[in-house]
Amino acid sequence: MKILVVEDDEGTAEFISTGLVARGHAPIVARDGREGYERATADRYDVVVLDRMLPELDGLGVVALMRKDGVSTPVLFLTNLSGVDDRVDGLEAGGDDYLVKPFAFEELMARLTALARRPTLGASQTLLEAGDLEMDLVARTVRRSGETIDLQPREFRLLECLMRSEGRLVTRKMLLEQVWEFHFDPKTNIVETHISRLRGKIDRGGPALIQTVRGAGYTFRAPNSAA
Amino acid sequence: MPRIRLLRTASFRLAAVYLALFTASALALGGFVYASVRHEILTDFDERIREEANALAGAFAESGRDRLAAVIEARGSSGAGFAYGLAGPDGERLAGTLRGPSGGAGAAGWIEATEAESDEAPEGKPEVVRSLVTRLSDGSLLVVGDERRRSDDILRGVLTAFGWAVAATLALGTLGGLWLSAQFLGRIDAMRQTARRLMDGDWSRRIPLTSADDDLSALARTFNRLFDRIEKLLLANKQVSADIAHDLRKPLAGVLRRLEAARDDPSSDAARVAITAAIADVEGVLETFGALLRIGQVEAGARRAAFRPLDLADVAREVVDAFAPAAEDEGKTLVARFEAPLPMSGDKELLVQMIANLIDNALRHTPAGVRIEVGGEPIPAGVQLSVGDDGPGVGPGEMAAIFRRFYRSGDTERTPGSGLGLALVAAIADLHSLECRASDNRPGLRVTLATAAEEA
Repeated sequence: MKILVVEDDEGTAEFISTGLVARGHAPIVARDGREGYERATADRYDVVVLDRMLPELDGLGVVALMRKDGVSTPVLFLTNLSGVDDRVDGLEAGGDDYLVKPFAFEELMARLTALARRPTLGASQTLLEAGDLEMDLVARTVRRSGETIDLQPREFRLLECLMRSEGRLVTRKMLLEQVWEFHFDPKTNIVETHISRLRGKIDRGGPALIQTVRGAGYTFRAPNSAA
Repeated sequence: MPRIRLLRTASFRLAAVYLALFTASALALGGFVYASVRHEILTDFDERIREEANALAGAFAESGRDRLAAVIEARGSSGAGFAYGLAGPDGERLAGTLRGPSGGAGAAGWIEATEAESDEAPEGKPEVVRSLVTRLSDGSLLVVGDERRRSDDILRGVLTAFGWAVAATLALGTLGGLWLSAQFLGRIDAMRQTARRLMDGDWSRRIPLTSADDDLSALARTFNRLFDRIEKLLLANKQVSADIAHDLRKPLAGVLRRLEAARDDPSSDAARVAITAAIADVEGVLETFGALLRIGQVEAGARRAAFRPLDLADVAREVVDAFAPAAEDEGKTLVARFEAPLPMSGDKELLVQMIANLIDNALRHTPAGVRIEVGGEPIPAGVQLSVGDDGPGVGPGEMAAIFRRFYRSGDTERTPGSGLGLALVAAIADLHSLECRASDNRPGLRVTLATAAEEA
């Protein structure tokens, strides 16, 4: 992936670009908002990592200008603040996702991958398929090997999130946000318990479709699919 | 300069303006009354003289001039009140004491005559008498007059009385205004002194309330509520500083100890374990910071702009749905019981977190087998939501303390968590004007959030 990192803090910029290079990506680092905006509009990137507080032009300003220029590259905001307001402001300005510093690199990576792979608007799928598992998004039914599986609404949503990111890591935090709209981390393991119930329903003695990535999250992987 | 301050008070100025207006209108009314009375008295006075003159003229027409002269002499000496004069056509005085118009033969009408031989004014200052001159048919002049002293006395009396009344009004009004201002000033002073004490750091002080139920009392009550709020914030601030110092020192000291141990032999397994533990410690510290920041942001109250109408029962059901499987895995029962919608205006995201923290708290502090019930109902003031369990509960002395930052019940070493979960609940509740109360659920703990009754 071609990734633009707009971050003025040297330590954080180093941490991100080293991690990205190690995973085979090509990060370009911009040191202030002005430079970030110029680079984001001059070239095509798969995704932009944008710090909220930047010299010259702050993150909100950068994304607002980008969107005004018709640049639709997905933007992930990084911030020191953890307020609700900041996330809402960031998303309203045109950001696509939001991550609070400090963060685990896997969390950033999983989100960047999800953003870069996000289907463009209009091309909405109505059927998700992975191996012998089928999810009909219109009829809201799930079948494995043709046999209907009865899922609770949240379990359906959870499975949908995992299937859309087939083969890729989906972190606990991402699931909390996307399935339950929880923008905080409850002490209780609500993700784990729902995953284990979902596994019980979809695995049915067959090969496990949802893999746990320790300390990070889950990956959906169909055994006989290409991923 | 208390005197001068008294004069400068708003209430005194108001009283003074009112007094001035009142006095001006009283003066206008008085002037009008005086003019009317004066006109009436003078008309009446002239009428009496005219009648007397007509009567004498009638006597002349009946009996002639000599008879008239005799009548005049008789009446003049009887002291009936009038003064008379009769002059011949050539101006010679025939009878009476009044001197007619000198040499003014032919003049008739009202004049200011003087008495020729006045017994009453021996000082030589001839008294002026308002008189009516009548020309008789033989050319002689009849003068009838009366002193205006009596009517002048009446009018002077009216004026004097009126003057006293105005003076009394001014005096009473001024005194009253000063008294009112002193009262007003006393209460304003009480407010000012309270504010000054507060600024000096005595934050427990409040404006004393009087029995009067007026706008000034309402203002004092509003200020007192403002002071309550400031005191609460200050205390919270002080508390947080102390708590942060206390609560973060321990994990940071732990991190230091582990890392120092790992430095001595970085490649050993023990070092790896120590580093992993140190990372967990630092994550805990960061989590605490995050929670503190969030509480601070909620308390700052900036989120009220994002309030939307919502059903608290719906929100609670969603959260219970999310937690129910986890509760079940721990061998506990988590149920939502709402019979009616709980409409309110709020920030859904924060309310979700509030209820989640309450359930988190109930799950973490109870053994397997408990039943946790989330319920609520509409109340007159708004809505009420409660989370109750039948676990061990907390001591009566701890009921209020559990909402404090960093408060952890019992053995804090073994109880996980930052001690900030319920503090955030309290902050979010406060933002939504919900009152937080912990009570005995017989057995267990019950936390109730209810819309605070509107204060007057």
